[in-house]
Amino acid sequence: MKPLNQKADRVLKAAAEDKMDEVRAMQTVTAGCATTFDPGWEVDPFGSVAALCQPMEADLYGCSDPCWWPAQVPDIMVTHPDWDANATNAARDWRALGTVFPGDSNT
Amino acid sequence: MKLIPPAGPNRTWLLSSVAAIVLSTGPALAQSGAELLTKTCGDCHSVGDDGALSRISGQRKSPEGWLMTLVRMRIAHGAAIDRETEAQLVRYLADTQGLAPSEAAPYRYALEKDPDTVEAFEEPIASMCARCHTGARALLQQRSPDEWRTLIDFHVGQFPTIEYQALGRDREWYKIASTEVADWLAKELPLETKAWTGWQAADKPAVTGDWIVMTDLPEGGAAYGKLTVAGDASPYSLAGELRLSDGTSAPVSGQMNLYTGYEWRATLDIGGKTYRQVLALDGDGGLAGRQFLAGQDSLGGRLTGVRADAAPRVLGTVPEAVQGLSGDVQVVGTMLDNLTVEGAATGASTVNDFGARVTLTAETQGKAVLSVGESTTDIAFYTAPDRLTVEPEFTIARVGGGSDVGPASVPAHFRAIGWLNGPDGASGTEDDIRIGSLTAEWSMTNANEMAEVMRDTEYAGTLDPDGLFWPAVAGPNAERPFTTNNAGDLTITAKAGGLEASGRLIVTVQRFIDPPLR
Repeated sequence: MKPLNQKADRVLKAAAEDKMDEVRAMQTVTAGCATTFDPGWEVDPFGSVAALCQPMEADLYGCSDPCWWPAQVPDIMVTHPDWDANATNAARDWRALGTVFPGDSNT
Repeated sequence: MKLIPPAGPNRTWLLSSVAAIVLSTGPALAQSGAELLTKTCGDCHSVGDDGALSRISGQRKSPEGWLMTLVRMRIAHGAAIDRETEAQLVRYLADTQGLAPSEAAPYRYALEKDPDTVEAFEEPIASMCARCHTGARALLQQRSPDEWRTLIDFHVGQFPTIEYQALGRDREWYKIASTEVADWLAKELPLETKAWTGWQAADKPAVTGDWIVMTDLPEGGAAYGKLTVAGDASPYSLAGELRLSDGTSAPVSGQMNLYTGYEWRATLDIGGKTYRQVLALDGDGGLAGRQFLAGQDSLGGRLTGVRADAAPRVLGTVPEAVQGLSGDVQVVGTMLDNLTVEGAATGASTVNDFGARVTLTAETQGKAVLSVGESTTDIAFYTAPDRLTVEPEFTIARVGGGSDVGPASVPAHFRAIGWLNGPDGASGTEDDIRIGSLTAEWSMTNANEMAEVMRDTEYAGTLDPDGLFWPAVAGPNAERPFTTNNAGDLTITAKAGGLEASGRLIVTVQRFIDPPLR
């Protein structure tokens, strides 16, 4: 596997030297965003948006099915099996993808 | 950008057990709350010899934390819990197994849904917890050692690819999570603490009566007024009025739930718009937190308040600074008969229902300090700001809408903040004087070369004259290369008083899971 950028290169070297704890292989985003970047949800490995998988609807289920951003996107594999029930093709049916936290549950 | 330090409050282990002492609900409701919990949850959670329910009894959380647990039981495990039962259980659990004020204090930004906070946790929290959700979501909990360990295992079962993501696959994730991290959490955030025991035994602050408040409305600017809380128990009724910066008034009405003796959660109508308040009583007659639009929680402002019958306190001034060297200001607070002013001459002064109306005159640009008792606030006098900054300096917005069921867009609100250099005459030093929000001319440009190529400014959204950015619609856009979404990377620039400053805005995609704690 070849690192695509400097941060990924540092991750590989740190893993080889058993120094993963010293590496913050994460992006700086506002609180509550996903900071993983393989791929990222809100931002790409460079802290921008041009290298995100976009449009995200094109291959959404390939990543969201297996819980890649489980705090932002419903995972169909375990927690929200019916999330895509009305959107078998996300790029075409994206308007049928709803929010999952009930709007009338509040403190 | 507000950076959150890694350290939480010091916590002390205690040998005493966590007794289910009820805070504001009284013995009768406590009994019914315990019965309701057993009735609702007892089919799956076993009852121990001491009557405690498995899993549940080993945890303490915020009201939002308990709500999210109950919702997850409904969504993921099919628990049949109606909304009224859910509300009663959140109240009972937050009162009997909540967080002490000092335990929640470091992480209130998450409860308040502050859109601009950037967390900066050290390990192990940074890559173990905060890579998917706020670190605060984890740290706003207190658990027994077994419950912290079980939380790790829950994550593996519920989100199996957790071990395959970056920072999962490249180290002994499960070993680290289930030993080092679980041990760290159990030590730092134990179930039993002196803070919680002390809070359970303490007299709780009074909440009914009149509160003087000041805040900032997304489209109305600075506002102040009075809220009256009435009732015997949650939900309390809220009613009052806010004075707006344009001289008009907006009626306020709604309901407020008080959890754990200090957590104020209100849903209210202000001049025809629905707002939420996430506030905390400070135990000294004060109130503070954030108020935001219910449907677009990125738009809102800080809110502070004081009981009208509390000890003398000044909350601030409206306007927050005097342009020119003389002007009338409303000093917002209570019991301001003995208000003193240092750094400006005082002209006419009249005590009113919201504090006092005073005329202030300064000889030069600078600041004055208004005091009553131990309570103080600063007010700046300026003719021309020395420096301009944009707040937030970095934030995100999200595309949205275009769908009946999908997430609404998440706008972003920028403000141009003026500064004076202060006594040392140097810009950017500790004695700089904050003037506050200034009227500015706003513009946006592409933040980098790729944004230029993708023409982000043409697609990502629009910036209105008040610095409010409204994102474009969600979904693939056939007009853009690769039919990409209306995402963008933008520089937001303000010009005011011959000065210029910029902030950065990432416009990104929707979040489909939007719980009270993100």
